[in-house]
Amino acid sequence: MRKKTIYLKALHLFALLLAGGFWAMPDDARALSVKANHDNIKVGFFYHGSTVKVSGAAGAGSGVVIKITAPEGHQVLRKKGKAAGVLWMNTGSLSFERVPDLYFIRSTAKPESILTPQELEANVIGYGALGRHMEIKPCADEQEKARWFSELVKYKENTRLFSPSGGITVADPSGKREFSTEINWPYQAPSGEYTVTAYEVRDGKVIARSQAKITVEHVGAVKLFADMAKKNAALYGLISLVVAVGAGFGVGMIFGKGGGAH
Amino acid sequence: MYLYLPVALTSINIFLPLGLGLLVGLLSGLFGVGGGFLMTPLLIMMGIPSTVAAATDSNQIVAASTSGTYAHWKVGNVDFKMGIYLLIGGFLGGLGGVQVIKVLRAMGNADFVIKMTYVLMLGIVGIYMFIESLASMKKKGGQEAAVQEKQEEKTSAIGAFLKSLPFQTRFEKSGVTHSALVPIVLGGFVGVLAAIMGVGGGFLMVPVMVYMLRMPMHVVVGTSLFQILFTCIEVTFLQAYTNHTVDFVLAVLLLIGSTVGAQVGTVFGRKLKADQLKILLAVIVLVVTVKIVFELTLTPSLLLSQAGGH
Repeated sequence: MRKKTIYLKALHLFALLLAGGFWAMPDDARALSVKANHDNIKVGFFYHGSTVKVSGAAGAGSGVVIKITAPEGHQVLRKKGKAAGVLWMNTGSLSFERVPDLYFIRSTAKPESILTPQELEANVIGYGALGRHMEIKPCADEQEKARWFSELVKYKENTRLFSPSGGITVADPSGKREFSTEINWPYQAPSGEYTVTAYEVRDGKVIARSQAKITVEHVGAVKLFADMAKKNAALYGLISLVVAVGAGFGVGMIFGKGGGAH
Repeated sequence: MYLYLPVALTSINIFLPLGLGLLVGLLSGLFGVGGGFLMTPLLIMMGIPSTVAAATDSNQIVAASTSGTYAHWKVGNVDFKMGIYLLIGGFLGGLGGVQVIKVLRAMGNADFVIKMTYVLMLGIVGIYMFIESLASMKKKGGQEAAVQEKQEEKTSAIGAFLKSLPFQTRFEKSGVTHSALVPIVLGGFVGVLAAIMGVGGGFLMVPVMVYMLRMPMHVVVGTSLFQILFTCIEVTFLQAYTNHTVDFVLAVLLLIGSTVGAQVGTVFGRKLKADQLKILLAVIVLVVTVKIVFELTLTPSLLLSQAGGH
């Protein structure tokens, strides 16, 4: 009997905590949602990038930041420097840890103007936070790290895989804020799963988060060749050679018959 | 019209590789060079990762040199015997070159040595070929006999030494007699340098055949293509097997252009005189040298690049 009372009290306490937590959240935060209209991008032979519309709803008057990232990983890049003080050439390599393949930020206002530095840091929003979040080796000091991070940004922006800013369109029908943004999805983005995170922002703080996924996958002949190049490398190499030699002879014979070579 | 490349993981306008293939195939058929020194940097400029650009280029050269060798063979311009001796030397030299790179890397600053070797070899070969073919073109208008006599005198000491070597053999197609050791050693020398520089070595092999083996220019072009064909077959297979960097779709686009270009180049080549061919090749080699010197001295726009490329 006593045991049953303890269980009931615990259950009540849990229900109270749950209800308290729920009501402590602003009304609007519970309304946050995000989705991508094109969440399964198929990379076929004629693929040249795509357009992805990210949209959702947040509480009325809230700021919104959208971050799209690929899972973080490890990347080794060659660095150029001056050899003998005058000539530019490869002078070694740098190892980047916790670097996403793709990093896009879109927001209703500049993230730095609607979020506190602590929130930017905690949610890795903006190049400043991303730079501090990443590890770069070997680097003698913070100054050198900042220099190579800015070079990494240039390298990634060159292939359209990093895009630090862009606007979000908002509409405010009764009691909520609807938002949407169009992303020019770069063809350079490799296959894999990408995460779209929407942050609802109020008074400098993130009050809610919502996530959606975008999957990029190779299909058809692209998948066949990409898989064969890795899994059946010897056969792939032989086919490449047979086709090359065959094409060389074929064109030679066509020209020979047509009298082109004579 | 765009096509997605499954290994390069990028999308490309198909007319770019078709046009580039045509241009490089033309050079290949004209001069007997693989054209890697031109093709690889242009592919990188189009957004192809450097590792994929170099490997796919060698796949494309297989097609262009097959087409070119076939066209030259039909008109009797391939010295197979000489080509095989040069190949043996090139293969052994390539093995040696790989060891030299290992030593250089262990010592540090290998890239510096490689780049400087590249620039110096291109510069020396380009300037020498340019001056020699210019002088040769001029001499035809004037005192031909006197200059030729002087040149023969100059080469007689080397000629005597070469004649004294064992295993003398006649190369019918080229109309020359050499010790079998000469093409093997020269092929080996080119193989070492080509392995160090990471290139096929056509631009080195052509002058070696013209000036050291004294072969006629038109046979040089055909024989060089024959030798390049086998070198690139080996490189393509190794790149596909060990690095997975050959992009089959890109290679097909390039080879459609290059096989046709090689045929057209062969036709044009036969209409040009040997000296005209040499001076044109010299100009191209010198332009590439100047381009590399600029690359080495001007601040690059990007200081980071994908690991594994040239």
